[in-house]
Amino acid sequence: MGQAPSSGMPPGGHKDDKDKDKKKPKWEPPVPTRVGKKKRRGPDAASRLPPVFPTTRCKLKMLKMERIKDYLLMEEEFVANQAAYSGEDRTAADRSRVDELRGSPMGVGTLEEIIDDDHAIVSSGNGPEFYVGIMSFVDKDLLEPGCSVLLHHKTHAVVGVLADDTDPMVSVMKLDKAPTESYADIGGLETQIQEIKESVELPLTHPELYEEMGIRPPKGVILYGVPGTGKTLLAKAVANQTSATFLRIVGSELIQKYLGDGPKLVRELFRVAEENAPSIVFIDEIDAVGTKRYDSTSGGEREIQRTMLELLNQLDGFDERGDVKVIMATNRIQSLDPALIRPGRIDRKIEFPLPDTKTKRHIFKLHTSRMSLAEDVDLEELVMTKDDLSGADIKAVCTEAGLLALRERRMRVTKADFTTAREKVLYRKDENTPAGLYL
Amino acid sequence: MDERDPKVATIMVPSEDPEKKEDDKPKHDKGKLAEKDADLPDISEEDLALQSELEMLVERLKEPDTALYLPALESLRTLIRTSTSSMTSVPKPLKFLRPHYEEMGKIRDSWSADLKEQRALLASILSVLAMTYSDTGKRDTLYYRLISGSDESPGTWGHEYVRHLAAELGEEYVGLVEGAEDDEEPAAANGAVVAASGDKADVKTEEQPSRNYTVEQLRSLGLELVDFFLKHNAEVDAVDLLLELECIEVLTDKVDDKTYPRVCQYMVSCVPLLVPPDDDVFLRTAAAIYAKHDRLPEALALAIRLHDRKLVRKYFEAPANPVMKKQLAFLIARANIPVHWVHTPDTMEPENDEGDEWGAPPPELSTELAECLGNHNLSTHFKNFGKAVGVEDARTPEDIYKTHLESRSTAVHYNSARDNLASTFVNAFVNAGFGNEKMIVQAEEGQSFIYKNKDRGMMSATASVGMSLLWDHEGGIDHIDKYTYSPEEHIKAGAFLAIGVLYSSIRTQPDMAWALLEEHVDNPSTEIKIAVINAIGMAYAGSERPYIVERLAPYVADESSSIDVAANAALALAFVFVGSGNGEVASIILQTLMERENSQLDSEWGMFFGLALGLIFLGRQDAADATIETLKAIEHPVARSAEILVEVCSYAATGNVLKIQSMLHLCAEHAKTDSDKPKDEATPEVDGAADEAAAAATTAAGDVDMDAATSGETTASTDAPAEPEAPKSMRHQAMAVIGIALVAMGEDVGAEMALRQFQHLMTYGDPIIRKAVPLALALISASNPQLTILDTLSKYSHDSDLDVAVNAIFAMGIVGAGTNNARLAQMLRGLAVYYAKEPDCLFMVRIAQGFVHMGKGTIGINPFFHDRQILSGNAVAGLLSLLVSFGTDSHEFVLGKHHWQLYWIALAMFPQFLITLNEDGEEQPVTMRVGQAVNTVGLAGTRSTISGFQTLTSPVRVGTTERAEMATNEYFPFSQTLEGFVFVKRNENFDKDE
Repeated sequence: MGQAPSSGMPPGGHKDDKDKDKKKPKWEPPVPTRVGKKKRRGPDAASRLPPVFPTTRCKLKMLKMERIKDYLLMEEEFVANQAAYSGEDRTAADRSRVDELRGSPMGVGTLEEIIDDDHAIVSSGNGPEFYVGIMSFVDKDLLEPGCSVLLHHKTHAVVGVLADDTDPMVSVMKLDKAPTESYADIGGLETQIQEIKESVELPLTHPELYEEMGIRPPKGVILYGVPGTGKTLLAKAVANQTSATFLRIVGSELIQKYLGDGPKLVRELFRVAEENAPSIVFIDEIDAVGTKRYDSTSGGEREIQRTMLELLNQLDGFDERGDVKVIMATNRIQSLDPALIRPGRIDRKIEFPLPDTKTKRHIFKLHTSRMSLAEDVDLEELVMTKDDLSGADIKAVCTEAGLLALRERRMRVTKADFTTAREKVLYRKDENTPAGLYL
Repeated sequence: MDERDPKVATIMVPSEDPEKKEDDKPKHDKGKLAEKDADLPDISEEDLALQSELEMLVERLKEPDTALYLPALESLRTLIRTSTSSMTSVPKPLKFLRPHYEEMGKIRDSWSADLKEQRALLASILSVLAMTYSDTGKRDTLYYRLISGSDESPGTWGHEYVRHLAAELGEEYVGLVEGAEDDEEPAAANGAVVAASGDKADVKTEEQPSRNYTVEQLRSLGLELVDFFLKHNAEVDAVDLLLELECIEVLTDKVDDKTYPRVCQYMVSCVPLLVPPDDDVFLRTAAAIYAKHDRLPEALALAIRLHDRKLVRKYFEAPANPVMKKQLAFLIARANIPVHWVHTPDTMEPENDEGDEWGAPPPELSTELAECLGNHNLSTHFKNFGKAVGVEDARTPEDIYKTHLESRSTAVHYNSARDNLASTFVNAFVNAGFGNEKMIVQAEEGQSFIYKNKDRGMMSATASVGMSLLWDHEGGIDHIDKYTYSPEEHIKAGAFLAIGVLYSSIRTQPDMAWALLEEHVDNPSTEIKIAVINAIGMAYAGSERPYIVERLAPYVADESSSIDVAANAALALAFVFVGSGNGEVASIILQTLMERENSQLDSEWGMFFGLALGLIFLGRQDAADATIETLKAIEHPVARSAEILVEVCSYAATGNVLKIQSMLHLCAEHAKTDSDKPKDEATPEVDGAADEAAAAATTAAGDVDMDAATSGETTASTDAPAEPEAPKSMRHQAMAVIGIALVAMGEDVGAEMALRQFQHLMTYGDPIIRKAVPLALALISASNPQLTILDTLSKYSHDSDLDVAVNAIFAMGIVGAGTNNARLAQMLRGLAVYYAKEPDCLFMVRIAQGFVHMGKGTIGINPFFHDRQILSGNAVAGLLSLLVSFGTDSHEFVLGKHHWQLYWIALAMFPQFLITLNEDGEEQPVTMRVGQAVNTVGLAGTRSTISGFQTLTSPVRVGTTERAEMATNEYFPFSQTLEGFVFVKRNENFDKDE
């Protein structure tokens, strides 16, 4: 906050004997030191704006917001005035003085232990450890054992803290480029789209609607259904549509080589999600870690279970997660641990059924819209067949038909191509089930 | 119409014949296909059917056959109404009709005026459709609604429509009023609207020349909407709409017994954020609603907030039930409303008999009621409460200091005069109200701690008897009486002060305090005189008794009386008339300020004249304007402080942003420019300071040294050249800082935002401002130790400027007063060690420790009560006086020889209890839940108003941010706000097993 340093001796000009007296006894720090207790949640308490209640849309809320704005304007005015009064270069001068004190070059070391407010033990590289001072301008709140610090080149005093980055694994999960699939690319699934919008997107954009109704918005949804019904596609569309941070991870990524790494990754994932809130976490193939628990002797198995337990905790544990929504996808919901999908963790279960005729037609249209079809192709015929075709199967049929046409170097895909392709796909699909055994 | 046809055709073709396109596809290249996809959205079959049906209906409206219009419109209406929409998308009929919107408008205009019904119906439909056109800013929804003249409820079109309509109504009304304000404007505005709506508006001119609605039109529609809102759990929207239509008063007749609590709650919480005329109207309306539904305590509370004498009397006299009346009497007593507003004691002066502007004098009340009004049983109940919560045993200062926990390595010298004085205060504050401490009141003969103090210390020690026997007007006087005959002047003065302290917030009949004190006002000793004057001020704070003016005014007005006596007399008068806006008293004080010589006003006491003026106008807002103007004419710098004090006091707890801004502007000034002027004034100051310094010799010798040291240091720390002089001329800045807190407190958002301002003030401010910041923090959060504030104060308490540190430590005491906060206690113990060698700081640490354990954790000093809604004038008077004294010069006052000023805090002290009484006025244990208060204003459902509660049996302690509620419905409370004294009535139908 910039006022005069507060630690140290009580000031004032005193007689010498007084000063001597004071230095001799073991001196107890007056304020409990707050070194290392990192304030994780949100911005600093001092600069945080007061919460505004009620959260419903109403005049009272607006008035309160306006009040806050008024205060901020006054603050701006005052600070600008004062900064102008005390001279522009005051901060600049301070900065250059700090730079001077920091010296250059600087070394990078690891903070091993904090002794008291002003001293710490650091190690630089793989070399020896030093007992060094901590400069007063270092933000003590950021210091915690194990963090990287900047060291003065001669005295090795701590002159700065290097912000520790998040696990690189997690930053990979962050989606920088939105996928190209949008809601328009999804055939059918209207109710599913509506459900996912209601439970994932709307709470992030219009939280007040839920407040007005007096309910907590769902924390997450699970998408389930037989393979190829568009679960991942829908998640992609959500990612495409939303402006929230979208983190995606596959269940199998959470299984790590070393003990404890999996749970740690889960924690990191949710921490990043919270820091970048509002955010959506998408965990694909959740059955990789989320299967039912059972007694297992295998260490690997147990580790996976621990990973899931961490996931359970992150989803609905003691800490309140803010604007973090979770989407999970699986095609084996029956094998998931009941604790994982209980209401409160996952409030909405969205089933993806095989497409009905209408949807099938739509999907066929979507996939064939870019193909050159021969006159005789009648999609309706394909649509009306009673096969259990999933969205992915339909795509496969179209692709297969295209490939067949390509094999014969034709410019158009004919009806015959489609028929063969359909048979092929169905054959392969039913390959592993003994068809007609009991017929 | 011709131009429309091709348009329709383009839409019709793709919708009817989609299959053909598929066939065409192979012939097209990709670019064209994409294009086609764009203008052919994916439409399912049902949607197609709906779309074509709608289009058919629209088509039909264009046909000449008028007979078909009505059925077509009817089916349009049904389609729109029955469409179930998702909240993620626009209802389908609206979406499909959107392209036809303008067209339909034209159709309507083309119809002849005979088709009245049809026109009306189409207008209603258009009104709904206009919702999708809301971005144009034409407010068509409202327009069509009004010209439709439809009398069916807007609610039949759905909630979204009603909301939309309400929003446009509000905007329109604001536009209308603004337009009406300046005469030239309306025409221009009209023109603009016409131009904006284009040719369509031109056509309409025949029936409705322009969109100029009358206020009545808008209001009647508004009222219709309000009815709808109130029926559908949207009380908030109803209030918002009426606020915009500026007719909130009508709400009184509209709410029923289901909706009124939520409406009132919302209205009351809006008040601190509204601009002046509205807030008053809101309070009055809410009070009227409460009164209408027999929630008289709430109504009375709002009347007290308004400081409306007639309203207070009206609500007080409203109930027939004697128990309810007593309940109201307790509320009035807590608020220190002058008794003569509602009650004429038998000793009342005759001149009021004929009745004055306030109507006929109120009747004389029964003894029982008078006792409630005068807080007669406060002491008894408080002691019972102490027993119930297990704190009746006396505590010694050592129990509070817990020196054995302090890791001292040097030997500490006890029994120095300072330590004893501190212990005296701590003893008094900690055991306040219980009257059983062993050091003074219950001490054995000759062992009394009074005699371990010297000089002025004895005065404070004797006065501590009053603190210890606080509110005990029956037994207490006997204890004090013997000291009044003491030959020792200090003890005598202390005894008089003790009477004043004891009688704070007690009103008795006959006036014991007056009888005891009155004759001593003329005592030749200045010390006794000041003590007596203060005692009268405290004993009658807020009572507005005219005879006190007669007695004390001469001391204020008389130029021969010394400045300190005059200042104290002025302050005492201000205590008595706090928040009254009494012009007579104000003019007396103003007169003094104008007539006194500059050399006298230079005294530190000069500040208290300004404070006195401020307190008189506490919360009176505009009423203080004349006084401020007069003060502007006075040249002496003290008038500038006075000006600020009056300004901030009059806007106390309003959260008025403009006042805060002007205070910030004052704080932004720096002393640099007028460095020459103060030098001239410096000479008399030094003279004055010299004899004061001599008098202060009784205090620790280090004081004088330290003063010099501090000022020396401030010179070093800032770049202003003439630093020692600067603080005096810039003292008004300290008042401005405290003023920010005073204005901002009472409204949570503002208070929290003010904290940020204080941080900036601390960063950029001159020493005089930095000194005042902790005081401001104390005021804004009295008896409410929030962690962030504690952390900040803890930091300031180690500041390199000792004055800042002293004030911060004092602030820690105020912030934690009566909370027994363990964290704060630990911080203070740390500070006691840290400042072991600084007598001033150590003294302050001890006092703060005493504050924190005030009444052993049972007495709070937060000026807000009744669910943090009403601001107690007395409490502000006490707190503010003390803070101003610190802000002026703590070395001169509390750290010097006027430490008795600490007793001003007695005005703010009140037990933080909840005592339930049965209808006979006896204490009745009831199971209660006590927890942190939760703001449930404007939220859906019936939520619990507390969180993290504990279930206890009354009497219980209810802290500043806490709230209580009944755990069972075995008893019904008479007041919904469970605080202080609450009467309960047994529920006859209560079944324990249920």
